[in-house]
Amino acid sequence: MQELMSYLPEFANALLVTLGVSLAAAFIGLTLGFALNAARIAIPGFALIYSLYVWLIRGTPFLAQLAVIYFGLPVIGLRLEAVEASILSLALYSGAYFAELFRSAWASVPHGQVEAARVHGISRVRVFWHVQAPQAMAFALPLLGNQVILTIKESAVTSIITVPELTMTAGRIVSTTFSYVMPYALLVLSYWLLTSSVAAIARALGQRMTRHLRG
Amino acid sequence: MMNDFSSRMALYWPALIQGALTTLWLCAIGMLLGFVLGVLIHLLANGRSRAGVAFTRVYVSFFRGTPMLAQLLLLFYLPSALGLDIPPMVAAAVALALNTAAYQSQILSSGFAAIAKGQMEAASVFALGKYNTLVHIQLPQVLRLTSPALISELIDVIKVSAVVSVISITDLMRVSQQLVSQTYRPLEVYLVAGLFYLLLTSVLSVLGGLLERRWQERS
Repeated sequence: MQELMSYLPEFANALLVTLGVSLAAAFIGLTLGFALNAARIAIPGFALIYSLYVWLIRGTPFLAQLAVIYFGLPVIGLRLEAVEASILSLALYSGAYFAELFRSAWASVPHGQVEAARVHGISRVRVFWHVQAPQAMAFALPLLGNQVILTIKESAVTSIITVPELTMTAGRIVSTTFSYVMPYALLVLSYWLLTSSVAAIARALGQRMTRHLRG
Repeated sequence: MMNDFSSRMALYWPALIQGALTTLWLCAIGMLLGFVLGVLIHLLANGRSRAGVAFTRVYVSFFRGTPMLAQLLLLFYLPSALGLDIPPMVAAAVALALNTAAYQSQILSSGFAAIAKGQMEAASVFALGKYNTLVHIQLPQVLRLTSPALISELIDVIKVSAVVSVISITDLMRVSQQLVSQTYRPLEVYLVAGLFYLLLTSVLSVLGGLLERRWQERS
């Protein structure tokens, strides 16, 4: 018990690092995903780049992407700190998943609405923001939480490049105290708590934001 | 320079193929074990035992709510703390199986739900027994119905399996780390390793698409 108290503050710190890295990456990824989907709609020919990006990111493990960015990019002169490389790779990674989520959200709005709006002379930009976006976002909102959870879970991999987040910290505590059970049990419980909370928050937010749809 | 690159590729090639085979082998075992476990979880979740239902809820939530890497570390180091040494390969296969079982149980229940109720009634009229009904009536149909989703789960297993490299299994990821420490060419090696993963997942994804189309044509 005393032993647990001795590393609990360190653990709490690591929890904040995990949360900080994942949320920063998820926020950038969300923006990137939104931009990718918007570009796919607005720019003819961008669909090809979009598909290529999604294919590359979703077809390879996050660890391989992280290795390319953290160990590979210095070869061409781009040296990033472990935390920077982690946030960048996680953002690029989650960006592809967010983009796909937005794509399906936009596809959920019947195309007839877009045609009707265009026939009435409403510009494409306004159709995007005022016709498609409100409905698509109501579709996407409840699902955004899943992507944030995915990002939190994937952030564990950044321990391999020594980001002092939860998994790395648990490993370090294990190697100094030689007790395996407690730190690793605490580790999985922390993640479980984190992802369950995000799921609960997302559910509550989703219900609040789409209240108008249920009458 | 070009020649240089091709001679380096000749060095990478056999090692990466070997690593890819380990990855595939491990994922196949994890996937198959996970399928059996997934069926059991589904049965338990729809069984009469309240404790069983509660257990499956916790199980699915836990394995879907925590990182594969953390699960792997717990599974690898916990037994050794209790004085039980398990080989890394076994720990990795079991960890992958436990993890994918949570996802597969969800996929499978949608398959089970899609089977017409009359079939089950007919089977019980013929006194087929629960086991025979499961193996000969339900599972073949569930497999066919869910094969596209199961293949996309296999793709996820392959991607998530890259973390087993931390417990020194010489999978595709570990082999590329070894090549990097030999050649000091991280960018090139990791990109080629990424291409290997991309090849594996893309072939499976095409296969999944074909299966889906074939299944839709039949029905």
